[in-house]
Amino acid sequence: MNDFSELEADLKRLRPVAASPELARRIEQDLAAPALSPTAGVLPRPRSRARSGGWWSLGLGLTGVVALLVIGLTFFDQTAPPRPVAAAPTETSKDQGFQPAGLTQVVYRGRDEGLVFPPNDSGTVRRRLRYETRETMRWRNAQTGASVRVSFPAEQVVLAPVSYQ
Amino acid sequence: MEITVSHEDWKTCFAQLAPALLLFARRWTHSQADAEDVVQEAFVRFWRQQHSLENRGLLYATVRSTALDRLRREQRRSRREALSALDHDEHCDPVFAPEDEGQQLLAAAIARLPNEQREVVTLKIWNELTFAEIAVALEISQNTAASRYRYALGTLKKILQPHE
Repeated sequence: MNDFSELEADLKRLRPVAASPELARRIEQDLAAPALSPTAGVLPRPRSRARSGGWWSLGLGLTGVVALLVIGLTFFDQTAPPRPVAAAPTETSKDQGFQPAGLTQVVYRGRDEGLVFPPNDSGTVRRRLRYETRETMRWRNAQTGASVRVSFPAEQVVLAPVSYQ
Repeated sequence: MEITVSHEDWKTCFAQLAPALLLFARRWTHSQADAEDVVQEAFVRFWRQQHSLENRGLLYATVRSTALDRLRREQRRSRREALSALDHDEHCDPVFAPEDEGQQLLAAAIARLPNEQREVVTLKIWNELTFAEIAVALEISQNTAASRYRYALGTLKKILQPHE
């Protein structure tokens, strides 16, 4: 027995608005339709587009990272003193140029975006997790002691399989 | 509420659940028609995979997930932004069918509850879910569900006090 029993009883007496008779008929039609159809009678949902949107973000993010790396490496190659290729042994060039000194990835926000169902209602239900990260790469010139740091935001979408009891 | 049904029994089962299920879906929709679309999509999706209502928490989780996906698709924003926008919108369709002035006041008081509290009350009172099932449906802990429920009832009592 609690202080709210009277209020709970009042709440239970309040009735929600009833569903329209059409709703049950629409569900019946959907359930009767073959399950293999991706939209199976429900309103067409741009599910694949929504999902591919996440992959687009990931793809764009990765492309950005690669572009930054290429630009960065080109920049460091230009700043290094030009020397004859034949006269530069591999170990010497390693010692004199900027060398990767560290890579960190800080996840500063993780979002659970809920369940993702397969388009044809078969297969594994997955949970969509979105991570926002900041990645930092450092290069260091052992000869001069100079260091360069590049930091950029990135986003990762992970589809983790879920199981129910 | 123990509900175990065969594939053919979904109509009986759905008829019992539909009003409260729609009430739950109204948390993320602006109209009864939108809520019906959400419930339709979620129920079909759920039934095809489960063929029973033993796991009611999962049914409500499916409704929630479907509603959030739909909201995000429509608004082209993140879930959080979309939810935040919805929090400030006025629902135009009534969600209850009050029979007298007392019930009208009660319905108005429920509308003033914070969304997080209102959805727990909706699941507990009209959908008759346990706190364990509410926890599954809303992806929160049982303790959080119970405390939101208590806060909600406390708030309702305070709102209704001057009118009693």
